[in-house]
Amino acid sequence: MTGQASNMDFFELTTEPIDLSSVARRVVPPECGATVTLDGYARQFTKDKTTGEVHETDHLVYEAYEPMALKEMQKLIERVKAEFEISNVGIVHRLGRLEIGETSVVISVAAPHRKAAFAACEWLIVELKRTVPIFKKEVYSDGERWIEGDGAA
Amino acid sequence: MTVQVLFFGATADIAGKRLIEVDLPDDSKASDVLERLIADHPRLDNHRLHLSVNQEFANGDKSLNDGDELAIFTAVSGG
Repeated sequence: MTGQASNMDFFELTTEPIDLSSVARRVVPPECGATVTLDGYARQFTKDKTTGEVHETDHLVYEAYEPMALKEMQKLIERVKAEFEISNVGIVHRLGRLEIGETSVVISVAAPHRKAAFAACEWLIVELKRTVPIFKKEVYSDGERWIEGDGAA
Repeated sequence: MTVQVLFFGATADIAGKRLIEVDLPDDSKASDVLERLIADHPRLDNHRLHLSVNQEFANGDKSLNDGDELAIFTAVSGG
């Protein structure tokens, strides 16, 4: 599923592997001096936040409430562009089964100056993890678990 | 009135399905649906649940209308 914000912004959900550099290139306008790109990917070892126990993940499964997720992604782009001195934003989140090391989310922010791009990219991943209805399941050799985020939307 | 209820992730596993229809009295709120679902699926109560109505985050006191789309899920975990 794909959504279109203004001009060069975009937000998408996909079950196909994400090409990091093509996401980063799509946000670049001529007036910009820097693009900051976050590559979030499937981690092999996860420490349980309450027990401290370390789980070894075999693979991940992501699912989304797709129409609401796209609406929330569009809201994030509107909010981040009102808040920071940036030009364009692209967000692509993978769904379905992901092997360890595969990219789950890419956020690219282009800005005239890098400082705003770093700050906006950090803000976007924090808010995405708090508000966009996407759900991650960690599958282990001996079981599986849906991960519940810390943030209340 | 009738509303659709969608489940995702952990709540879908507990409910054993992804979509149900619920018949309600006309002046019902989102919390009325939630109470009924917890009565049917007590394990839902082990989780901190979030609600949306028509694809917007909502509180339990949100009034419902015929044809509304509710979703019930645990804290989101994308990224």
